[in-house]
Amino acid sequence: MNAPILATLLLGGIAALDATPVAQTLFSQPLVSATILAAIWGEWRLALEVGVVLQLLAATTLPVGARTPEDYAVGGVVGTGVALAVAAQQPFLLVADAAAVVGVFAGLVAATFGVPVVKWQRRANEGLSRWCEAEILRGNEAALGQAQRAGVVLAFAAGVGYSAACLALGVWLLGPVAGHHTLRLARAWALAQPLWIGLGLAQVLQVFIRRRLTRAAVFGVSMLGAWLLLMMTGR
Amino acid sequence: MGRLEPADLRRMTARALLLQATFNYERQQGLGWAWALEPALRRLYPDAEQRRQRLAEHTAYFNTQPTLASLALGVVAGLEEKRAAGESGDGSDMARVKAVLGSALAAIGDRLFWLTLRPFAACLGVLVALAGSWLGALALWACYNFLHLGMRILGVNWGYRLGTAVLGEGQRRRFDRLTDRIGLLGVVLAGVMMAWLLAPEGEPRPVVFQIVLAAGLGLGLIVALRPRPSPTEWALGLGALCVAATWFR
Repeated sequence: MNAPILATLLLGGIAALDATPVAQTLFSQPLVSATILAAIWGEWRLALEVGVVLQLLAATTLPVGARTPEDYAVGGVVGTGVALAVAAQQPFLLVADAAAVVGVFAGLVAATFGVPVVKWQRRANEGLSRWCEAEILRGNEAALGQAQRAGVVLAFAAGVGYSAACLALGVWLLGPVAGHHTLRLARAWALAQPLWIGLGLAQVLQVFIRRRLTRAAVFGVSMLGAWLLLMMTGR
Repeated sequence: MGRLEPADLRRMTARALLLQATFNYERQQGLGWAWALEPALRRLYPDAEQRRQRLAEHTAYFNTQPTLASLALGVVAGLEEKRAAGESGDGSDMARVKAVLGSALAAIGDRLFWLTLRPFAACLGVLVALAGSWLGALALWACYNFLHLGMRILGVNWGYRLGTAVLGEGQRRRFDRLTDRIGLLGVVLAGVMMAWLLAPEGEPRPVVFQIVLAAGLGLGLIVALRPRPSPTEWALGLGALCVAATWFR
């Protein structure tokens, strides 16, 4: 196995850890993982394009209430990883746009199907917590530390395993498609990229505005002001 | 009977990072909570049997926003100190205090950290990344963690000092003001991002790009009002539609 793929899988495990079990520092956000993968694979433009789309869609996917949200931690790593791996297989430049659309798809699918994996981990942790309480009452206080370590190891292993499965499937299924239908997929990217960005930005805006008209007005004014400034100072 | 020392609070702060290591549907953060509180219980209850009882008690259900859980840990450590000295109530009183702390801090923390600061940090990061810089990821991470890690590092001590006053009107108002200000800045940032997307560096994008972007934004605002299908499902469907449209053209 080559080094960039190994590093991608490792990042999948680390992102899975950061998402819920350890510290929640947003290291697991798609833009962060895309930037790290860009440095590893040496391909900045493609990684950042995929990272930006997935980041905007992930920004408002939140662990609030009883809902188990889509797993954009692994989704971000898989999406960028698949795009970079597919682009690395083809020698011509145009494949980057085709790889981007394929990568975002892989990321979205991985994030969606990551939910059952997260739910499985949480059910496994239920057994762990019951065992731990019984052990403590039996006099084994070290069980608390053992259970925490087991939870961390399980999350890391699930992250690496799920990333590996998604990456392998993604490259195997979508790699040949991107190679054979590069032009079609590149055209699809030209259409899908602004649509996805608009969809993601709308979710973020909705969170900030919350039906307050003054906030909507501030958005309009700041957009117009920034646009005028760009037109005056731009090339 | 011992009193808590600064080293105990530091150990609790470090352990609070693993609050959700064994997150589950039955007890949610319960086990991580007991793990984080264990240094305090070890100091306060030298009698092993009593300490085990307290530890087992704290493995019960607990849930709050994880950043502000540090505050709750400090408050409960202070209450345990009083309980060990015989100054305050029993286990059921402690469970009630934990339930109130958990839900009140979740209401504040979800709004501040999940629903405002996280989208704001994402906006900032994406805006920098759209300009082609790798610093976007750093901007996202640093912007969020200035408050998140700051609260995690100082929270236990703060909660221990203030006690249940962390839920006082003054503190709540401070959090609300901060949330509102970040939200307002977020709207400005989103406006700047939209302008940059339409004309990066003052070079207007093709009309098709601008129209599709506006269509995505409009559709997204309508979609955001309904819980189902989720934005991810919409993104998958719209992406498939784009591929189909270009495939069979």
